[in-house]
Amino acid sequence: MLIEIRNLSKKYVMDDVVVDALKTIDLKIEQNEYVAIMGPSGSGKSTLMNIIGCLDTPTSGNFLFRDVDVSSLDDDTLSVMRNKEIGFVFQNFNLLARMSSIHNVELPLIYAGIHKAERRERALKAMDRVGLGDRINHKPSELSGGQRQRVAIARALVTNPGILLADEPTGALDSKTGDEIMELFNKLHQEGNTIILITHEQEIANHAHRTIFIKDGLIHSDKANLKTKDIQ
Amino acid sequence: MQYEENIRVALAGLTDHKFRSFLTMLGIIFGVASVISMLSIGEGAKRQAIAKYQDLGVNNIIIRDKQFTDQELEEVRAKFSQGLSITDAQVIKEVVPGVKRVAPQAEINTDVKYTDKSSKSTIIGITPDYIKMLNFQTDKGVFINEDHYKRNLKVCVLGAGVAKTLFQQQNAVGKMVKVDDQWLEVIGVLKSKAVFTETVGELASRDLNTDIYVPLTTFLNRFSQENVLASQVQQITVQVESSEKLMEIADLIRGILIRHHFNNVDYSLVIPYELLKQEEKERQIYNFLLGAIAAISLVVGGIGIMNIMLATVMERTREIGIRRAIGAKKSDIMSQFVTEAVAISITGGIIGVILGVSLSLTISLFTDVTTFIRPYSVFIAFGFSVLVGISFGYLPAKNAANLKPIDSIRYE
Repeated sequence: MLIEIRNLSKKYVMDDVVVDALKTIDLKIEQNEYVAIMGPSGSGKSTLMNIIGCLDTPTSGNFLFRDVDVSSLDDDTLSVMRNKEIGFVFQNFNLLARMSSIHNVELPLIYAGIHKAERRERALKAMDRVGLGDRINHKPSELSGGQRQRVAIARALVTNPGILLADEPTGALDSKTGDEIMELFNKLHQEGNTIILITHEQEIANHAHRTIFIKDGLIHSDKANLKTKDIQ
Repeated sequence: MQYEENIRVALAGLTDHKFRSFLTMLGIIFGVASVISMLSIGEGAKRQAIAKYQDLGVNNIIIRDKQFTDQELEEVRAKFSQGLSITDAQVIKEVVPGVKRVAPQAEINTDVKYTDKSSKSTIIGITPDYIKMLNFQTDKGVFINEDHYKRNLKVCVLGAGVAKTLFQQQNAVGKMVKVDDQWLEVIGVLKSKAVFTETVGELASRDLNTDIYVPLTTFLNRFSQENVLASQVQQITVQVESSEKLMEIADLIRGILIRHHFNNVDYSLVIPYELLKQEEKERQIYNFLLGAIAAISLVVGGIGIMNIMLATVMERTREIGIRRAIGAKKSDIMSQFVTEAVAISITGGIIGVILGVSLSLTISLFTDVTTFIRPYSVFIAFGFSVLVGISFGYLPAKNAANLKPIDSIRYE
């Protein structure tokens, strides 16, 4: 089992008021699944994404990643988890503006302690996979939105993570470019990657093979998408 | 590998905001430059003092005849004291243990002439031991030796200043000069010596380069003091075997002299070594103060770095969040920002060293203040600036590392 969430809850304290962002969540995600997590804003889907992305820890319950309980890990180990197992793709790309795209893609490998020659080779390969092999020395400001998102995807892929975690990946793109990005995700899924999409657009969620709907901190529904032929 | 990245990011940060980086560095630049130039001024003064006392001889005790008015002199003579004499010198040599050499000297001030040129000068009658005790070196010819002394020869050695006034570029050796009403043959010329600008005890400040040296025997036979009551010799220089016993020996000499002079203190003792040590102690405090003031400006420079780094961390919150999300540990962020602070302080330190060194060279070139840069002062100033960078970069770096990745990645 890649991800197993048991009886998980998350509380925030905001201005002396306790907010139950997630109440009791039980969830399993297998290797090579393509999952969309949907829900209106304030539903807790971002909180769930933060926990799955090892950016945050739950208040109670367990989050097991490859049978390792992440909720008990310290900050440094969480950093290593994010580095090795999580590939983030953000709505607003979150690239470092002053660096060339290839350097942006290399960055996770720098923190993984991989030396220069191998780093460059792997980054080039990742850029090729997203179809930007000829744009490696461009800075993000010299690229279109779709190209920036591709660089961000290359950065997420470069460490061969356990999951690609995409938070509204098409939110800042026009629909045509958005479709291209979604096609890239489909391709990456076919190549064997596990993908978790966080979105509030049904159309985007339809690309996934399974949709989990969250509302008020609880899983409202969890079902296979109709157009999917066969899962598992 | 992270170091390489850290340095890259730090240098990129410096060059992206050149003017801001320069302003931030300014504090460090001035701090380092002032530490170096202050220390070099202190060191220059110290070396000058040491050179001065070395000229007087650090193993010497100088007994100087006191300067009296005619009336005072009559009173002292009436109380049976004959003033400093060759006998005093002989007694000290024979009685006091640990004394190596004793050299009496007699002096008069008079004019010395060569052709149509004339120079005001101090004629000093000395014994051949004299040159062995003082840091004198001949430029041309020889100094007065045993032979000149024993045979009362009418020879003289000129100070560099006198030689220059009388002979300009000519070689003075072998020429005859007229001193008072006596003709003397020049047998040597001394190398130029530092001008004595301070009065040390009874040793009045004067230009040693205007002195003319003659054998004491010749002096006593040929020249006479203006005042018949004047002492036979004006100075006795005593060289001891080691400087450790200087004070003991000085006390012994005081005891002998007071008896021989019938309780008249018509002389005074100058101990260059003691004066040197005393002056060094005073100067140490002074140098320390100079350095401390300069160091304060370095600390102020450090606060400047901290200020700008804190602003930088705010400005780059999202960058920090992104780096954390893709796997940077707290320690990676920490070292990234410390590296930036250190890069600023090292660059500032290097510019500061260049500025400080050129400043102290300029000072000694265009003023009469002597400066001397010791390598250690450059290292201290530079090392201190790096230290300032690390310590004042620490807090902003810690702030950066402790930012929560979830919050900072959404920071606008």
